[in-house]
Amino acid sequence: MKKFLVLILAATVALSLVACGNTSGEAAASTKSPQASNAASTSNADTVFNIGICQLVQHEALDAATKGFKDALSEKLGDKVVFDEQNAAGDSTTCSTICNQFVSNNYDLILGNATPALQAAVSSTNTIPVLGTSITDYATALDIDNWTGVTGYNVSGTSDLAPLDKQAEMIKELFPNAKNIGILYCSAEANSKYQVETIGKYLTEMGYTLTEYTFADTNDVTAVAQNACLNSDVIYIPTDNTAASCTEAINNVAESAGIPVVCGEEGACKGCGIATLSIRYYDIGYTTGEMAYEILVNGADVSTMEVQYASETTYKYMPDRAEKLGVKIPGNYTAIESK
Amino acid sequence: MNYFATLNPLNLLNAIPGCIAQGLIWGIMALGVYVTFRLLDFADLTVDGSFATGGAVTVMLTLAGFPVPVALLIAVAAGLAAGLVTGLLHTALGIPPILSGILTQIALYSINLHIMGMAANQAISVQKYKLLISLMHVSKAILTAGLLAVVLITVLYWYFGTEQGCSIRATGCNPAMSKANSININFTKVLALSISNGIIGLAGGLMAQYQGFADVNMGRGAIVIGLAAVIIGEVFGGVLLRKFPNFALRMVFVVFGGVIYYIVVGVVLWLKLNSNDLKLFTAIIVAISLAVPHLQAKSKSSFRRTAKLSEAALKAMCNKGGQ
Repeated sequence: MKKFLVLILAATVALSLVACGNTSGEAAASTKSPQASNAASTSNADTVFNIGICQLVQHEALDAATKGFKDALSEKLGDKVVFDEQNAAGDSTTCSTICNQFVSNNYDLILGNATPALQAAVSSTNTIPVLGTSITDYATALDIDNWTGVTGYNVSGTSDLAPLDKQAEMIKELFPNAKNIGILYCSAEANSKYQVETIGKYLTEMGYTLTEYTFADTNDVTAVAQNACLNSDVIYIPTDNTAASCTEAINNVAESAGIPVVCGEEGACKGCGIATLSIRYYDIGYTTGEMAYEILVNGADVSTMEVQYASETTYKYMPDRAEKLGVKIPGNYTAIESK
Repeated sequence: MNYFATLNPLNLLNAIPGCIAQGLIWGIMALGVYVTFRLLDFADLTVDGSFATGGAVTVMLTLAGFPVPVALLIAVAAGLAAGLVTGLLHTALGIPPILSGILTQIALYSINLHIMGMAANQAISVQKYKLLISLMHVSKAILTAGLLAVVLITVLYWYFGTEQGCSIRATGCNPAMSKANSININFTKVLALSISNGIIGLAGGLMAQYQGFADVNMGRGAIVIGLAAVIIGEVFGGVLLRKFPNFALRMVFVVFGGVIYYIVVGVVLWLKLNSNDLKLFTAIIVAISLAVPHLQAKSKSSFRRTAKLSEAALKAMCNKGGQ
């Protein structure tokens, strides 16, 4: 036991020595390059903002949101902003480790990209402003009753909620004769469930019969998709990370069965859908960046900032797939370019 | 140069308490893994499911208005039940250990979804509920988790010293011999699996509170972290004490193993290495920890080394004889 204590003591002394040595060196370095001064709340004249970005998983939509966020801030702040971008590689408990790191570095702002990332950030601090993006429903994600559009504490951000009412109308417009709609999504995703419930209400009111087909992970996708194709006239896929990452498999099943797929976002539509009414993740990321600027520079109060939604939506379709299935696409749709 | 200038050791020092708190929770989970993996010699993969079950039960019951300690106790009971199922699959139905664990783990995915009301993610706000442990109050979290670990180690130390506990250890050491000595090894296996998963359920409940949510995926890879903690702890203990530690100390080192693991994760993140590579680092850490004792033993028993030693001894004898 004594040895252990000695070890800890030695490590502490060594670390603190290094700490002292480096901070003095850093002060010198920071005059040359502002980016180097990571812990520089010391320099007052031109403050450098340190921002921690915790993203749940690498994924086209989430990456776009992060990029939008960074672009917005970099445009406004130039080199006076330093990003510490961390990716939890899909592991929700890693988000806590990352956010703890951000809080202990005393960053000026934390961005949580996707629900578990935001939740971990919110759990780790009640002083540092936290912004979220790619969150579908803040009330559920943060366990807030009587949702009024603001959280009331150090959290705000943007939602990626697709215009579900318009998506339902789109299905009606494209497939007026269909009866059975199969909804295909991953049961491990919190946001998908929420969307399915919301769009389900609209579709039932329109007189469709709905059946939910859920899969647990990518291994089940093919079997579940096959079952869905057998029993539906049209398949709808909400904004779902897991579905988006295995569109190839879904397409193989749906295309050979001749069943059209309508998607909640463009990435999935490119892979397996024929049409979508989609928001752009880059846009909501960009909006989040603008909110961050308001907080950091203009001293806006996060707790009273309303959660923002995507303002622009676009009707898009996949020309070759629509043609193959003989679906008539109205003129206000733009074609998705397939690379 | 620029890279090194951005590394501030103070940041690392500040991050370490959080790593310790999280490490302690995983250390408690590792105690559960230790019971099956080392004491029973049973590679139990139920863990990935029962960890999430513990989290799900704790969060849902707390949301339903149960006091947190009661919710945690029920989470332990849920873990016990999961272990019981694995045990029965193995003993009553004769399914091999790894497979029976995997079966329960897969089944638990659906069960966990049902527990969480078919939602994949359930938030629990530290502002609204009196949580035992939270990322927001790290020092309190360390204290609570540390205290729980101490209590748990004490109880386990006492229990595995009783006749029943000893019969579990005997089953793990030599099932055939235990059976010959009229130990019901099927019973002891089921018992140990239940105890182990009960502890893991507790850890899952703590983790859900700590991070502020339960997620149906939160147990993914838990077994690897648990095994890492057990092995790192053992190696660390062995190196530090220069001998095989006794049972109580071994459990202490298992918890330390979890802490060390998370400190390493903290350092990896601090070094600004890509967090997508964390899993690779985990594998490397476990591989090194597994290899060190093996290589040490090998070098001690190597022929070349023995030859060198005996040569030196012979020379010394000759020199003496010559004089």
